[in-house]
Amino acid sequence: MPSLFVLTPFLLLVVVNLPFKFLRKQIALWPAVGGMLVAQVVFSTFYPLNIGRGIADPFEQFFMFGLSLDSLSSIMLLIIGIVAFVSVLVASSMISEERQVFHFLNLILISVIGMNTTVLISDIFSLYVFVEITALAVFVLIAMEKGKFAIEGTFKYLILSAVASVFMLTAIAFFLMAVGSTSFAAIKDAFASNSSDAFLLKLGTGLFLCGLLIKCGVVPFHGWVPDAYSAAPASVSVLLAGVVTKVSGVYVLLRLFGTVFILNAALQNTLLLVGIISICFAAFASLTQTDFKRMLAYSSISQVGYIVLALGAATPLAFVGAVFHFFNHAIFKSLLFVNAASLEKRLGTTDMDKIGGMGSKMKVTSATSLIGLLSTAGIPPLSGFWSKLIIIIALFSAGRPVYAVIALLASALTLAYFLSLERKVFFGKVVASPAAETKASFGITFSEVLLAAITVAAGLGFAFILNTWLLPLKEIVH
Amino acid sequence: MSADLSQLFGHFMIAIILLFIIGAYCILASFNMVRILIGLEILIKAATLLIILAGYICGRTALAQTIVITLIVIEIVVMVVASGVTLWAFRNNESIDPRKLSELKG
Repeated sequence: MPSLFVLTPFLLLVVVNLPFKFLRKQIALWPAVGGMLVAQVVFSTFYPLNIGRGIADPFEQFFMFGLSLDSLSSIMLLIIGIVAFVSVLVASSMISEERQVFHFLNLILISVIGMNTTVLISDIFSLYVFVEITALAVFVLIAMEKGKFAIEGTFKYLILSAVASVFMLTAIAFFLMAVGSTSFAAIKDAFASNSSDAFLLKLGTGLFLCGLLIKCGVVPFHGWVPDAYSAAPASVSVLLAGVVTKVSGVYVLLRLFGTVFILNAALQNTLLLVGIISICFAAFASLTQTDFKRMLAYSSISQVGYIVLALGAATPLAFVGAVFHFFNHAIFKSLLFVNAASLEKRLGTTDMDKIGGMGSKMKVTSATSLIGLLSTAGIPPLSGFWSKLIIIIALFSAGRPVYAVIALLASALTLAYFLSLERKVFFGKVVASPAAETKASFGITFSEVLLAAITVAAGLGFAFILNTWLLPLKEIVH
Repeated sequence: MSADLSQLFGHFMIAIILLFIIGAYCILASFNMVRILIGLEILIKAATLLIILAGYICGRTALAQTIVITLIVIEIVVMVVASGVTLWAFRNNESIDPRKLSELKG
């Protein structure tokens, strides 16, 4: 079963590249990739409901590095499926040239293969390999338009990501030295047995954390995030902000620091401190932004801060909260980036000083953006409220009341900067009328409604989600 | 660790740390995109050497070999993409000075 999530996109990639002209027709390409991603969403939804779990895997012997599907990876596969599908939908209405479409779909398939394998794998070096494959596909996607900004954003992301890779590789070398293997199980045993190589393990953990914090883009290492997000083409920034940095940074952090490594007090304090600084600094920084996408990027840093903070509390409840916030953040941040794409398509800019009073002209965009930002700010009964609530309760019960109070207050700051955004862009005076009276395209409108519906549904059906998807997570946390 | 092994470890570590310092200095001190890429290459080479050393110490040279070969492939692909970006930057700006890449701020 798990190997299908890797083999299906790979087969599709091969088929798309066969030298037959009719395969390159757009009419065949979009439904193929979209259908594959919908299938991924459906299958990963079925996993926690206990359907198809007993089916033997016929392709298992091809994978020597051990793919395993557990409750955490099934949630990740669901997120990857939804956000990549939305990104393809947005791209289908933004990109029209045949060659560009072909390149875009190839690269998105490679990045989906990379991300799916990243969340399924159980070996630390293979994990690094697939994180790097995802990142490579995304570098090219960001730079695809070859503009000045795109190249600057790509170069910053590329260099910082390569430095992060060096940190991670050095850490892997230390783990190999101390454990003699690179599988998660062996590393977990070495941590539990408290052997004589404890120093090497500590060194490796610290270095790996440095690398991952760069990949996550939390505050001391956040420089590349706003540049890469705002320089990328609209559909790519949905993918990048929604899943790519989350899977290659935050998922790896959750997997390794939540289920494999054992955190000592110093490491917990580091994570808590990094989390709280990210939340506050990025929230203040986004107050001063004038570009829609840059503001969303800073808000993204601040929300990742909540996940890191929850991980620092190091209790099973906090882990559940972190994963739920991961899910919610992927959904509502993609929603807000789709809104930005809609504005960009209509007006040709995302500069908030040049936009105003779009509320009456773009009804769907303004309504869904309101849902997205209220969920980000944690207003009940939307989904963002529940995940922040779990995190704050977990912080209180872990004996960290100061962090809990600061996290709660920073949530109000989120509301402040998003309300100022909403007032500038959707209410207020009309600054400039749209250059071209283009009709809102079906792809963008549909994905806005879809993501807003998921946000509302996840908030209202919170009890069901908690029991079916989130509580099984407690089994994999030690 | 025997005396022989610890002496080897010491020599190797000195070389690796030197390579790390050279690579980091190259990235931080130069204002040339190609030199930054060369610095990254040196850093990755240092990490590769460390993995070889790790495989030797824990007695799993075969595992270290597979890791190093995979690593070399990945590294080359990263460098190809990076030099492609550098080439585009040169065509756009007529310069490979990273200080000229400063349009995005805030």
